[in-house]
Order: sequence, then C-alpha cells, then structure tokens
Amino acid sequence: MATTFKQDMPPKGGYSNIDYKRMLPKRGYSGYTMFAGMAGIMTFGMVTLAMSNKQKRKWIQEDRESILGIMPLICAEKDREMLLRLQYNREQEEEIMKDVPGWTVGEGVFNSKRWFEPGLLDLYYLEPSKERNKLVMGFNTFTGS
Amino acid sequence: MPEVVNLPSKVELDVPEVPLTSSALKAGAHHFGRQCDKANKEFMLCREEEKDPRKCLEEGRQVTACSFKFFNQIRTHCNESFTEHWTCLDYNKQEFRRCRQSQKKFDTCVFENLGWVRPELGDLGKVTVVKTERPVPEFDLRPIPEPTPRPIPPANLPASKTGSKYFFFW
Repeated sequence: MATTFKQDMPPKGGYSNIDYKRMLPKRGYSGYTMFAGMAGIMTFGMVTLAMSNKQKRKWIQEDRESILGIMPLICAEKDREMLLRLQYNREQEEEIMKDVPGWTVGEGVFNSKRWFEPGLLDLYYLEPSKERNKLVMGFNTFTGS
Repeated sequence: MPEVVNLPSKVELDVPEVPLTSSALKAGAHHFGRQCDKANKEFMLCREEEKDPRKCLEEGRQVTACSFKFFNQIRTHCNESFTEHWTCLDYNKQEFRRCRQSQKKFDTCVFENLGWVRPELGDLGKVTVVKTERPVPEFDLRPIPEPTPRPIPPANLPASKTGSKYFFFW
C-alpha cells in the first residue's frame, strides 16, 4: 500500500486560540476615580450650600436690624394715632348717646385700672363697613363680605 | 364697677409725623438706630415696663424730635446720595444687598460731613442695659385667690359594682 495521499495536519505551530473571551474595550475612569470624583463634587456642593446659607442669614439679620432701628419711631407714631382715634371715638359716642339716660361716656370694659390694648375693630367700629374693612385688613385684596 | 378710661388731651398727641416713605426710613434705619440710640432705648424701656402707651408720650415725642433732627441733618448734608440710595431700595424690593454701591456713597458722604459710622452687623440687635431716672412702676394686681381644697373621700367606701373605671386597652 503506497502512500498516495497526504494526511491533513494542523499548520506549523498549531492553530491559533479560539476567540471565545469577551473583548470589551477598556474605556472611562476606574471605579475608584469615579468614587473620589463624586465625593469631591458632593463636598463642593455642600460647602457652597453652607456658605450661601450663611450669607443669606446675614442678609436677613441686616434687614431685621433695619427694622429694629426704626421700631421706636414707628411705635411712638402708632401709639399717638391710636390714642387720637380713641378720642375721636369717644366724641362720636358722646354725640350718639346724648339722649340715653344713665349712660357714662368712655366707660372701660374691664373692671381694672390696667391698660388694655384695643383691637382694630375697637378703633374702627364706627366706620361704614367698606371703610372699616379697608382699615382693618390693610392692603389685603380680600376685604370680606 | 368699670371706671372711665382717661385719655390724654389732643394737645399732647398733636405731634407731626415723619413725612417719609418706608424705603427712605429703611435707608436711614441703621444710622438712625445708632444716632438716636438713647431716646429709642428710653422709649422702648418705658413701653416695656409701663405696658401703657399713655405714660410714654413724652419719651415718644423725644423719639420723634430726634428723628426729625436726624433726617434734617441728612437733608442738609447728604441729600443727593441719600435720595439715590432710597430710590435704589425702592426699585429693588427694599433689599440692601442690591444697593451696595449707593449705600457706600451714602456712607462715605455721611462720614465725611457728619462723622457718623454705620453700625456693624449685629450691633443694633444687642441687648443693652439702659440707665433711667424714671422709677420702676408698681402694679396693683388683684391677689390670686387660694385654690379650692381637695375633697377628702369618706372612709370605708364600698367597692364599685361595675368594676374599675381605669381604661387600659380593654
């Protein structure tokens, strides 16, 4: 039996490896770098937030101090206006109740010598309802019914 | 019986108000708090102690007089910069941080002409002790009635028929 055929054999050096492994390209930062970056961004944000809060508190304090500065002036004017209003009310009461016997004008409501702060309706109850609502509710758009 | 509430006469109350808008008052507020410190503290102490606006009219009049003096001084010396500052405040929601430039101008003008320094942040809000000649008021408060005595349960009480009335989760 003569050898007339040639046995098929692997190439010299053998076949190359079968490409079965995942060959994902390596890209982006590593996990540690990303964690560190995130921590950095968070700390930056937190620090800016804290600083802006501090600044806002300072602005609020400045505003409050401006109100504190003029509070005595406003308070004095308010007191005087209130007392004038009470006097006007008493004059009106005198005129309205002149025909009623046994009526004492300007009698206090409480059995005490202490000062009681009158409410807004105690000051403006003699006005017609539209004016009264304006005075009592200030600049509110809703003026009641 | 309730008594007649005595009110002060109209002559006492006839004091002119400061004819300024809120923006102008706010623009001068810090300097005002520093310059009229004594009158302001006196008035506020009176209001706090007496708890009666009728007894603090004199102090209030002094506060108003001081404010008139203060704003007149500003008008004679720093009218322009003050007007600029308060119009800036008026247009910018009355926020000081939006008007730092005009505020700086106003402050320098006031310092050069009148020698006033803007109080630092936190200076006006400090608690201070004020010396006055006004005596401490005495209130004649009504005495508090003694509390009613606790009733003493009679001895040898019979037990309740329906059991205890303490409520504990059925």
